[in-house]
Amino acid sequence: MIIIDDVHFAYDGIYPALRGVSLQIDSGERVAIVGANGAGKTTLVKHMNGLLRPQQGRVFVNGRDASKLSVAELARTVGLVWQNPDHQLFLDTVEKEITFGLRNLGYGPEDTRARCERTMSILGLTDLANRSPFSLSGGERKRVALASVLATEPQVLALDEPTIGQDAKQKENLSNLLMELNANGCAVICVTHDIEFVIEHFPRTIAMSEGLIIADGQTNSVLTNDRVIEICSLSTPELTQASQALNQRFPEVSPRLTLVKELEDAIIKIFGGV
Amino acid sequence: MSFLEVFQYTRQESVIHNLDPRAKLVISICLAGISLMFTDIIPMVLMICFLIPLIAAAKSLKRWATSMRGLLPLLLFIIVFNTLLSTTEYPFSHSIGLSLRLVALMTSFSLFFLTVHPDELSQALIQMGIRFEFAFAMSMAMRYVPTLGQEAYAIMDAQRARGVELDKGNMLKRIRNIVPIIVPLIIVSIRRALSIAESMESRGFGASEKRTYMETLSFRKRDWGVVFISLLGLVILIHFRFFFSLPEWVSWGLPF
Repeated sequence: MIIIDDVHFAYDGIYPALRGVSLQIDSGERVAIVGANGAGKTTLVKHMNGLLRPQQGRVFVNGRDASKLSVAELARTVGLVWQNPDHQLFLDTVEKEITFGLRNLGYGPEDTRARCERTMSILGLTDLANRSPFSLSGGERKRVALASVLATEPQVLALDEPTIGQDAKQKENLSNLLMELNANGCAVICVTHDIEFVIEHFPRTIAMSEGLIIADGQTNSVLTNDRVIEICSLSTPELTQASQALNQRFPEVSPRLTLVKELEDAIIKIFGGV
Repeated sequence: MSFLEVFQYTRQESVIHNLDPRAKLVISICLAGISLMFTDIIPMVLMICFLIPLIAAAKSLKRWATSMRGLLPLLLFIIVFNTLLSTTEYPFSHSIGLSLRLVALMTSFSLFFLTVHPDELSQALIQMGIRFEFAFAMSMAMRYVPTLGQEAYAIMDAQRARGVELDKGNMLKRIRNIVPIIVPLIIVSIRRALSIAESMESRGFGASEKRTYMETLSFRKRDWGVVFISLLGLVILIHFRFFFSLPEWVSWGLPF
């Protein structure tokens, strides 16, 4: 699906942001990208739809060399949702905002309408269809921005910090939506610092530091690795902290648990249950 | 917009950087005034030849050269339009003089903007008797130009990711494509301005009438020297320009 092969990139040619990054993301995967501020996460994601071009190395999307495709062509395959929704909203109604991308990519009027309505109902925006995006709350604007990308039904959806500013219920809705998209074959890539969100929803985690990938693998092994946690300036997941505390007293409990179920089983085992 | 680079402060150690901003303001205005007194080619060339060493003394020659390259299309535009529309006897020669004058003017002012930090500027204005609020607003405005630029790039990225093709299509389409950039830019700027105002007020901006300053500027001997020489030069040139008949070669021009 997406292959990134030894990509180097430096802003203005002198400030290195990526220093030889290689990875492969297959269709239908859910991948989280974590790392300290300035690790190169957003830079990496921008290479996936051609907003940035590698100064060295290559990017392939769906087996085609991305360097030969325009951003608009790549946008059909790779949808990017930005951290700050205000950077993309500019029309006077939510509905127009959502259909804007569809019209750019050349969908017909009926198709556009259908996709727009479907997306609005999934994201709970139907009631806001005729409101101005600028009169909405931060969380609502964020959902409009998400909807405007989702409506194009990309095969890969990359999100930059989607959980910031969302209350628990919206976060739940967002994760349900991502799961549903993923079940329909869409690969989901998420740049985030929200470690609990990653543990719950992303089986694979890529950890970055100073323009390099320092770990790439199963989330429960990456995020319970002390070195990774320290270098990426994350905090150890709470459940892992609990399992570490239990491990001090009961060595049979693994100190690297991440899920409620795993911890529950471990505690039951301590008490001699089955 | 690379021609604007010459108006952007660069942190460096140089003779010019170390001068008092007020002295630099005087020298810049004098140089610009001199540039405005002439339109002929020879005086403008002499003027630029005088300015370049000053830019070199500010260690900014490279930046100046980049800016001037960026200015080239505008200069060509001026030359072409003036040559076609001018009513003077030798329109081409006249328009060359005009574009050289623009270079001289920009260079004169760049000497100030390249070497004066926004904070220094507002401090200079305050010490010249301007109210703190106005001086602060001005240095704030200067401070936010690069931020606005970054914001514009982020917005362009966001819109391109939604399939807006900024550099494709005919003139009309390209102009229409500015809308998705400019609207968010305005909204983001207003939002930012409001939140900055709130955050400043919540930190007590304007709470006390009398402000004290951590650093104050002091006019040293060399600053007086610079002011004196600048004003002297200006007066002498005004004298020659308006009360003397200048030799023939000064007004030399191309014969077309």
